[in-house]
Amino acid sequence: MDLLPPIATVFLGLIMGYLGQRARMCFVGGMRDYYLVKDTYLIKGLFAFLVCALAGFILFQFVSPAIKTFPWFLNGGAVFAKKWAAMGVAADPSSLLPVPGDPITWCPKAGAHIILAVLGGFGLGFFSCIAGGCPFRQHIMAAEGSRSAIVYLVGFALGAIIFHRFVAPSIKAVLS
Amino acid sequence: MRMTAAMAGGIFGLLGAAGQAFFHVIPPPAYGICIACHMRDLVNWIAAHIFPIYGLKAGGAIVIPGGPVSYNFPLLTIIGILIGAVIAARVNKEFKWKVMRVWWQKPWAEFFLGMLVMISALTFGGCPIRTALKTAYLDITAVIGLIMIGVGVFAGCQVLRKLT
Repeated sequence: MDLLPPIATVFLGLIMGYLGQRARMCFVGGMRDYYLVKDTYLIKGLFAFLVCALAGFILFQFVSPAIKTFPWFLNGGAVFAKKWAAMGVAADPSSLLPVPGDPITWCPKAGAHIILAVLGGFGLGFFSCIAGGCPFRQHIMAAEGSRSAIVYLVGFALGAIIFHRFVAPSIKAVLS
Repeated sequence: MRMTAAMAGGIFGLLGAAGQAFFHVIPPPAYGICIACHMRDLVNWIAAHIFPIYGLKAGGAIVIPGGPVSYNFPLLTIIGILIGAVIAARVNKEFKWKVMRVWWQKPWAEFFLGMLVMISALTFGGCPIRTALKTAYLDITAVIGLIMIGVGVFAGCQVLRKLT
């Protein structure tokens, strides 16, 4: 069994936690500060993340075989076509299909994925804004000693179980 | 040297790409950094190993909902972030027990807000960080999701203006 990903992610998380605490990094907070007080300190972090991740993917695809599907809207279709051939689903992959990670990952309908993205994205932005920061910022605040952020993390963990127990089956039932 | 958000964001972006490229955090792609997904993997792995009925049985094997990279052993980003942030807060003497300043961010309300954030994040397939990482992976659905997060934050800001 390959233990490299868990060990690597612990150290990745250590670096992220340290830097995030020092820089008050928050992705939702950047947009919120820009809307409310026109402050651009945090939203620069979001743009820097996008630019550096894009540059990283472009550079690393030449040295690592793990990024062979890099421009997903071009190469993702082949991944879906292979998967559907194994499952016996007859459909043409669309370039709108997302990176796997949805509850209905291998659903052949691109429209369903866009509806989920719209609903989930809106809910994510709205509730994170009310809660006072994106999930990453809540972890940092919990480590800084905020009691409400610690309770938030408990709800966050329980939400995963509720999602996979009740929400994902109902989404599958509605969309199938 | 003072760490700004722009520098931290750039380092996170490179780490997210490097995690997939060099540290085997794949499949699924663009999974190097995600708060909601890695928390989901950790919680589901623990739940499925304490209560085997939770991992749905398929031919006798435990099937854990989540990223295939976490079937054998879950990703531990959450633990790392908490330890790293505690170290940073202790070293720089910013650790202090406190509650949020505003009245709607009381602990009992934050519990349900956390649950709702997790459910919407998993509906979409990622927290804001993984949405940005997927956008950098040039996934068109993630671009729509990132725009909708902006719209949701805008709606949330209108509510915040009413509340304060």
